Amino acid sequence: MYNYNDYLSNQYFRNTTPNMMNNNQPNLYTPEEGYNKGNLFANLYLGYKNYKPVKLQANNEKDALFLELSRYAFAAHELNLYLDLHPEDTTMLALFNDYRTRANQLMMNYENKYGPLTVSSDELSSSFLWEEDKWPWEGGKR
Amino acid sequence: MWAYQKRLQYPINIKNKDLRMAKLLVTQYGGSNGELAAALRYLNQRYTMPDNKGKALLTDIGTEELAHIEMISTMVYQLMKDATIEEIKAAGLDPHYAEHNKALYPTDANGVPFTVTYFATTGDPLADISEDMAAEQKARAVYENLIDLTDDPDVLGPLLWLRQREVVHFNRFKELFEYYQGKMKNPTNMDASTQLKSTSMKNNNIMDSISDGLSNMNQFLNNFNTKM
Repeated sequence: MYNYNDYLSNQYFRNTTPNMMNNNQPNLYTPEEGYNKGNLFANLYLGYKNYKPVKLQANNEKDALFLELSRYAFAAHELNLYLDLHPEDTTMLALFNDYRTRANQLMMNYENKYGPLTVSSDELSSSFLWEEDKWPWEGGKR
Repeated sequence: MWAYQKRLQYPINIKNKDLRMAKLLVTQYGGSNGELAAALRYLNQRYTMPDNKGKALLTDIGTEELAHIEMISTMVYQLMKDATIEEIKAAGLDPHYAEHNKALYPTDANGVPFTVTYFATTGDPLADISEDMAAEQKARAVYENLIDLTDDPDVLGPLLWLRQREVVHFNRFKELFEYYQGKMKNPTNMDASTQLKSTSMKNNNIMDSISDGLSNMNQFLNNFNTKM
């Protein structure tokens, strides 16, 4: 827990200064680092005590593809929230479209190799694989 | 409508059962500052936002909160699933077992069931978004309390990650609040970046912002629609 002086001295609310609101380009983490941290926007990142975010790693090809999908989907989602408030920011729109396209491609690659993640997947055409793989809460890497 | 993706937003793979932590963690599912309250709060407030920025942000953050419900539920499930009856009794979870066996159920850490009175909708964008900002701060604080109560890295990782999402959401809601507040101050000037800059410089005190915003509500209501 923070005490009140920490809030003031460590600039707890520094991120509420309008550096993002002047339409300066926000300082972004890479999709990998942003996903580890849970925050793509370096100017908004706020750690807790001395805890460090987990550096997520994959143990095999399937996990690696899934992790890459998770990173790009997260990065696109972060830019989605930003663009909700700044739809006129064409630089961020271009980056959003880059991450969104890569996430969609990674999703198709993953579903093609390992089975559907959505019930609208093309991978359901020959047999109903929706029930085949584990459900997300059942452990393993997702 | 919504479409389900068969994946967690962030990976959860808890190897060691921990009933004490399951009992505490469930509050971020069904407690007053939990993810279920957050999702319902934003997804109910979005209909009466005055413009598309507010409708979009509340829809998208509300949707993300549904994914966070799944993460917290997954953690509670994995922490409980291998428990014996004796362990459940020893952890004080026998009342939960009596009602629900090992099924998920939204309660706080004391077992009090979720209630919709945990959140409000007022139809007033400044009032609603102020509540949203407070909700994100309270959820961040509760995640910090929970982080203080465990040393299992499989639990800490997702808790740190979810806590950081509260930080991001708070800042987005604050931006939206200041954007609407700026519009109410000077509805004829529609340059959002100018509005936000001047608002932020004039009003570092949020209570001043709320007060100023409310005093301009009538002007806002009279001018808003024609200026969008």
